[in-house]
Amino acid sequence: MNAALDSRSRTATSRPASERPVLALPPRPSRLGQTVATAVVGLVLLVSAATLDVEWSDLRELPAAVAEYAALMFADPDWSRLPRALFEMWRSISMAWLGAMLCVVVSIPLGMLAAHGVGPAWLRLALRGLFAVIRAVPEVIIALVLLTVTGLTPFTGALALGIAGIGTQGKWTYETVETLRDGAADAVRAAGGGRTALVRWALWPAALPALLSFALYRFEINIRMSAVLGIVGAGGIGSMLANYTNYREWDTVGMLLIVVVVTTMAVDSVSGALRRRIMEGA
Amino acid sequence: MTHDTQAAEAGHAPASAAWPIRLDGVSVTYPNGTTALRDVSLDIDAGEMVSIVGLSGSGKSTLIRTINGLVPVTAGTVTVGPHTVSGLHGRRLREVRGHVGMIFQGFNLATRVDVYRNTLVGRFARAGRLRTLLGVTSARDREVALTALDTVGMLDKVWSRAAALSGGQQQRVAIARALSQEPSIMLADEPVASLDPPTAHAVMSELERINAERHLTVLVNLHLMDLARQYTRRMIGLRDGELVYDGPAAEATEADFEQIYGRRIRPQDRLGDRT
Repeated sequence: MNAALDSRSRTATSRPASERPVLALPPRPSRLGQTVATAVVGLVLLVSAATLDVEWSDLRELPAAVAEYAALMFADPDWSRLPRALFEMWRSISMAWLGAMLCVVVSIPLGMLAAHGVGPAWLRLALRGLFAVIRAVPEVIIALVLLTVTGLTPFTGALALGIAGIGTQGKWTYETVETLRDGAADAVRAAGGGRTALVRWALWPAALPALLSFALYRFEINIRMSAVLGIVGAGGIGSMLANYTNYREWDTVGMLLIVVVVTTMAVDSVSGALRRRIMEGA
Repeated sequence: MTHDTQAAEAGHAPASAAWPIRLDGVSVTYPNGTTALRDVSLDIDAGEMVSIVGLSGSGKSTLIRTINGLVPVTAGTVTVGPHTVSGLHGRRLREVRGHVGMIFQGFNLATRVDVYRNTLVGRFARAGRLRTLLGVTSARDREVALTALDTVGMLDKVWSRAAALSGGQQQRVAIARALSQEPSIMLADEPVASLDPPTAHAVMSELERINAERHLTVLVNLHLMDLARQYTRRMIGLRDGELVYDGPAAEATEADFEQIYGRRIRPQDRLGDRT
């Protein structure tokens, strides 16, 4: 195909102008990779559907079931336990915030050291390995392990969120630092500055808005995660939700869900607005 | 001040005495195989103001960066004052860099930080680790930094963020940052290439004045012929990494410049006179 195009364009230049000129089209890049990727994704989808024993007929009953439980929960939510729910929600938010702070305070220095051009190679590899391992362990597992040490308290939840977040937060930190095309770092080096001066006076001020924004984002993620951690007993709104689901008190569960959704959306929008402000000011 | 006089009397050079620069058979080949400098030898006296002229890609940025060791030499030796830069590493290389101020085409300020702390970077680069981390300054640090800002006429902007300044103002702050190192040599890598003509003249005058008043050795990369003629006495021409001219800047003829550029003179090779 390409050979044919080539030979035609070659002869076109040597032939009289009466012939229609052939555009010298460069050979089209191969799309083999894309085709293979599409095929693989399709295959994975088919295999996973086949191995999961999906009863497709169940799907038909799903809307009716959803409607039934929605009616149980939201037709007449029980607001009598609202004060307690708000208190537990507040504990969840505190847990999320404490966890986010813990995570950020640990992951920023470690992430900085894991960036190219900051830490030595052995430390960089070790830290990246640590982040990867932490990322591979779900929050719930970390919480279950911590429960045996610190007991059934929201502090366990905060600790679990703090540790679990370090993996992603550390990765974000070193990736941010590495994408800084910052002349200020050159200037600090030229002035004789070592690693400390480089990090403190060139990288830190340039990365600060992005890191602050990530910290807020971690808080948003933690609010959602704290509800999940409550289910394994770490306290907060999650525990209350798990308990009333077990008691099958659907009207209370409905009220709790409303509290969770409204609070999460409110926190998300405030935090999101703050993050936009930070990045615009950058 | 009295300390400096005492040091001078005792036979030691004061902290900011100008240093000579010597390049001996310097070649630089980058890891990707590009040879940027070929066997360049140069002698620059303490207190001289010298321009390095050449097209982009001629090796002038590389040359200036060998002097503070930002670019390691492949062959030859670079000597500044009492130190041989080539072959130095780590702490001792940083020590020498502390005596060599540098300004850049892109100013290279921390744009989100105020002018004051940008200037202090020149002090922190050589301060102890903990003081650097916490940003603790001594009275002398503050005095040197503020004096440097005053020298370049930027004292009134001391609390502005660097990003809020114009290009010319940013370059002045960058000069103040370099001055706050109390350097013995000032390197300038295309310091006016991002500036409009009047601002370019103002910044060049600033460098000229620093050379005259502080008696610093000043080495400035330029690609415009009239700036080299106007502000420097001695000019070095580079073409394809080779030294093709070394002589008085004012007397350099059009033919000399055509030889440096390796082509005819074009209108864009001149900036235009001071307004």
